[in-house]
Amino acid sequence: MRSLSICMVSDFFYPSMGGVESHLYNNSQCLMQRGHKVVIVTHAYGQRRGVRYLAGGLKVYYIPAQIVYSNASLPTFFCTFPIFRQIFIREQVEIVHGHQAFSTFCHEAILHARSMGLKTVFTDHSLLGFGDASGIFINKLLKFTLSDVHHAICVSHTSKENTVLRAALEPQQVSVIPNAIIAEQFEPDGSARDPRWITVVVLSRLVYRKGVDLLVAAVPRICAQHARVRFVIGGDGPKRIDLEQMREQHQLQDRVELLGSVAASDVRHVLVRGDIFLNTSLTEAFCIAIVEAASCGLLVVSTRVGGIPEVLPRHMVTFAAPEEDAVVEALSATVELVGSCASHAELAPEHFHRQVKRMYSWHDVAERTERVYLKIADAREPPLIERFRRYYGCGLVAGKLFCLVAAVDFLIGVVLAWLWPSERIEPARAFDYARYRAEIGCDEDQAH
Amino acid sequence: MYDYPIVVMQTAVVTQHISSIMVFIAVFINLYQGSLAGHVLLWFSSILTVLGFVFWDILSLYLHAPERRIVRFNLIKGCVLFALLLFGLSPILRTLTEDTSSDTIWAMTVIFFCVNLAFHDYSTGNLTNIRFPGSVSLNAAILASVLLASQLDSNLSVFAFLAFALEWFGLFPISRRYLRRVSAAASMTMAVLLALVAAVMFMYISRVVALLHLSCTLFVTFGCPLWLIWVQRYKNEIHGPWDEARPIVHHYYN
Repeated sequence: MRSLSICMVSDFFYPSMGGVESHLYNNSQCLMQRGHKVVIVTHAYGQRRGVRYLAGGLKVYYIPAQIVYSNASLPTFFCTFPIFRQIFIREQVEIVHGHQAFSTFCHEAILHARSMGLKTVFTDHSLLGFGDASGIFINKLLKFTLSDVHHAICVSHTSKENTVLRAALEPQQVSVIPNAIIAEQFEPDGSARDPRWITVVVLSRLVYRKGVDLLVAAVPRICAQHARVRFVIGGDGPKRIDLEQMREQHQLQDRVELLGSVAASDVRHVLVRGDIFLNTSLTEAFCIAIVEAASCGLLVVSTRVGGIPEVLPRHMVTFAAPEEDAVVEALSATVELVGSCASHAELAPEHFHRQVKRMYSWHDVAERTERVYLKIADAREPPLIERFRRYYGCGLVAGKLFCLVAAVDFLIGVVLAWLWPSERIEPARAFDYARYRAEIGCDEDQAH
Repeated sequence: MYDYPIVVMQTAVVTQHISSIMVFIAVFINLYQGSLAGHVLLWFSSILTVLGFVFWDILSLYLHAPERRIVRFNLIKGCVLFALLLFGLSPILRTLTEDTSSDTIWAMTVIFFCVNLAFHDYSTGNLTNIRFPGSVSLNAAILASVLLASQLDSNLSVFAFLAFALEWFGLFPISRRYLRRVSAAASMTMAVLLALVAAVMFMYISRVVALLHLSCTLFVTFGCPLWLIWVQRYKNEIHGPWDEARPIVHHYYN
């Protein structure tokens, strides 16, 4: 099979944690296992700068950059071109894959890659409205980047609809590839549950967007209605104080446990303690938390927002409108269900786990991403004037501005090619995956 | 979506501010031309300020306002200190731009008043402090006043003019905000009053400007709301499942 050289670019990568980061890491690992070459480019995180190798021979470039806001780097338009060009040529990149609309690096890398005539893919991980100023600004930027990518990927159908509207794309040009989990890391453990209680687990950052207000309103009502219910709430954030106040006010110290922030490696330990997982998010492109919970065998109660209804089959989730009464009703019904027929075969944790494992796997995600790559790998490169035509259509003023930016970037590309001809740039030595695997295999044998 | 009479009422904050700037400029021109003496302005503005505070107190008592943040002793102490400081500084301020051409000063003044108009705090009903962008607006106004004051020829005029500027741009907007809180009709009355005062003052300086100001005020009050309602037809709202949901919480327990 054909082996491709792919460069993933995003401002968001380990050591920072989140959905984009894990998507990048796991997807790259699986693509490498499928015989492709993958490098990741991100900005430097503190002392972590330069070139690093992660497990599996995943090469990561941490480029020094000024960070402006929540891990996004300072937009410089053209300043990153020389270093991106060096990396693309050194690594003999064929496809540049940018992630996340908030990432400056992603937009810049795609622009430079297009100036160099490389193939580009963009993945959108979040939802944005059309009403507020930041939304309008990001949407315009997205329109610029997406006018000239070969393919876009979204994590859910809701996200696809959103992206198609925001960037005025052809729907055929956008694929939906969901996130996944490593199901082996989320196995149910029946013995961890406390049979005296029905435990409701909540795991999220405690911020407004995660619907903590709904949680604060629902918890005391559920505790008053059902004497056997207790809550385990993991996560930290500015809204934690509201939860603590609620606990104090209703004297629920023995029934509401606040864990504070939970490390990624401890998520499973918290999840398996519960019977029900409650998610009260107000917006979500693709909710990975409820997939993890379902994989651990928990029944899920969630607000019906964003892409959440697409994520799990109907028998695993009870939906509620983002309204206090609806959340209480849905949670109440689920608590009664758990209380009355805990041993129902259909609701057995192992059954849930098997189903989730069949539905979500990174190998499947990588295979689908690979299909996108193969589709565009041999696409004909349009003439430069066609690129300008696309940018020009972006708006009355913005169109001309975009053309200007693209033209300047192209000219800088020409100058760079004259200063540092690509023949003179030394290609990076290929990582010997086969030998790496053999060595790791030996190590494992020794360990056994 | 928008109700015409309500929007008309709400334009009062804008017209009030435009008119107040016009009144201020008229006061300066009178002072500059010598038709208004410095001590007259000083007396006039001081009496108006005291009357304003008395009115505020009576209104607060009458309305049983819960919060009264004004501590009289501190207020008087601050006033005296400030007045002394300003009085001491006025000779310096008078000669501040002696080497600068008057045309530059007029041009800069116009720019700063535009900034003042653009950043003025129209929306919040903030009575206790001045925050961004209101602070930008206040600073621009004071800067413009200092520039104008430096064109005057006597120390007393400079002192009187700057004291008036501080009262006019620092305190007056707060009392206007208070008035708006009390009633929309009172706010509208204030707008009409200010517009008339500005027009009358400019009648003696330039009829064209006075008429322009009146027609501008009428346009902002009656024309702009119509315009706002009319352009709504071009507003295109897209809603979908991607919008952030608003949590509905009933507070049954509180």
